[in-house]
Amino acid sequence: MMRDLILRAAPLLALVALIVAISLLAGMADTVTTRRVILCLVNVVCVVGLYIFMGNSGVLNFSSVGFMAIGAYVAALLTMPAGPKGMFLPDLPVWLAATELPALAGPFLGALFCAIVALAVGLPIMRLSGIAAAIATFSLMFICYIVLGNWTSMTGGQISLMGLKSYVGLWTACAFAVGAVAVAFAYQETRWALALRASREDAVAARASGIRVARLRLGAFVLGAAVCGAGGALYGHFQGTLRVESFYLDPTFLLVTMLVVGGMRSLTGAVVGCLAISLLTEVLRLVEVGIPLPGTGAVVMVAPGFGDVVLAALMLLILLFRPNGITGGREILGNLAGSGHRHDQV
Amino acid sequence: MTALLAIEGLAVSYGRISALRGVSLQVDSGEIVAIVGPNGAGKSTLLSCIAGLVRPAAGVIRFRGDAIAGQPLERTVRRGIALVPEGRHVFAGLTVLENLRLGATIRTDRARVASEIDAYMDLFPILADRRHAPAGTLSGGEQQMLVIARGLLSNPALLMLDEPSLGLAPRITDQVYDLIESVRARGVTVLLVEQNADRALRSADRTYVLNTGAVRLSGASGDLRGRPDFEAAYFGLDLVGGQA
Repeated sequence: MMRDLILRAAPLLALVALIVAISLLAGMADTVTTRRVILCLVNVVCVVGLYIFMGNSGVLNFSSVGFMAIGAYVAALLTMPAGPKGMFLPDLPVWLAATELPALAGPFLGALFCAIVALAVGLPIMRLSGIAAAIATFSLMFICYIVLGNWTSMTGGQISLMGLKSYVGLWTACAFAVGAVAVAFAYQETRWALALRASREDAVAARASGIRVARLRLGAFVLGAAVCGAGGALYGHFQGTLRVESFYLDPTFLLVTMLVVGGMRSLTGAVVGCLAISLLTEVLRLVEVGIPLPGTGAVVMVAPGFGDVVLAALMLLILLFRPNGITGGREILGNLAGSGHRHDQV
Repeated sequence: MTALLAIEGLAVSYGRISALRGVSLQVDSGEIVAIVGPNGAGKSTLLSCIAGLVRPAAGVIRFRGDAIAGQPLERTVRRGIALVPEGRHVFAGLTVLENLRLGATIRTDRARVASEIDAYMDLFPILADRRHAPAGTLSGGEQQMLVIARGLLSNPALLMLDEPSLGLAPRITDQVYDLIESVRARGVTVLLVEQNADRALRSADRTYVLNTGAVRLSGASGDLRGRPDFEAAYFGLDLVGGQA
């Protein structure tokens, strides 16, 4: 019994070990590298949030960055010290201006708020399928961007919001990444997630089996949005500054690329994709700045924007030649357990 | 015998095209009823309509006396009607075992479900051997057995099968029909749709011949097999002015 449980949880344990190992290594590195790793771990939270809905339902989702933004602003508004809050947002309602909750409440309240918003907007959207659902989630992200960018009294509009409590260090980010992975894994082991994956495989046969597809999609959408909201809150507090521009097309594309490249049909794919793309973008950034070749005096350097082109090309290549991503839709150590486990091992 | 399913004056249109016109039929408890007809006769539309995938323009569908026309597919199965759609809709990326478990989505008697799944594994050893393999890797015949078993796991009173022999070798087709007959022997009523009229007539108690959206002929399968007008009804020759 105990052995079965451990075998069943093997993918989760392996992913947690991977995240902790990376954090340990980063703890020994220089400050710049550590900050890159923290950002990567925050991205793990967001990509896992995206995976919870997109991986299990098979429905394309572009709204996760919108939920990140909501989570970030909710966390900032509830936890910012009164001083900077009064300076940047003088028109806040009195109760909100006076609210200063402990910093760690931010990601949880951001997640809760995102879950409520996702429940409200998901009710109509989750009835859609295919391209219509994808466009609807894209519109959702766009609406978040426009509203947050113009609601000057609440968000500062186009002005950067500064003075956020800085508490997101390596181990906070690591803990939340592990937490997000654990939530996603626990969810995908449920009957609801299995039924949702069945609808991903064949919607008509799923409904003929009595699976209430729209309801299950809504559940995954709400859970995924909450995780993205927590990720957004961490992102904001890691940067210390919030700009609406940070939550628009670039990160939307980045998160989807991470998931697709890793393999959107497995949690391992979400984590591995995030790590791989983070590493690649870091290398590309260095090459854009210019890397001196030792001993020659020459500098390897490419034109600005090269990195984005490489990312887009990589996404294209993966879609063309390996549509199930690096992991092929499999879980790491997923073949250890038998019944009731993830599916895609041949 | 009591009518489990009764359909009266059913009409379905896709835009300006009329797919079913004034179809009436009855399925009694414990029967195997076949609906045969050529491609495009409206057979699948009829099953889709009973299942709730297609909304009828007119007519009444009663199951155990309740009007069910137009209700969504996921509710039909809760009433006791299982649909096995045409084309072997397995959940290809999920394992054989997961496919079977999903068939019992609406049930709460977990222990009973587990023992029934074991029984299907005994009945089809290939499903047991491949229980952790993705269902998409099974052969056509194995997939058909799997989707029928999956449909039966919802514990239906009426099992509806759309073209169960489509694309299968004759030997495999016979196995599928053996399964269908054993299902009936366990008290499940079966309504099946077939292009393969000869095979359907051999197993069904009663048969309806559907052509161009209307019932052309119906009766006990044994009687229909010998009737000279059967082929004419099946191929629609009676519609174009007698024998061609």
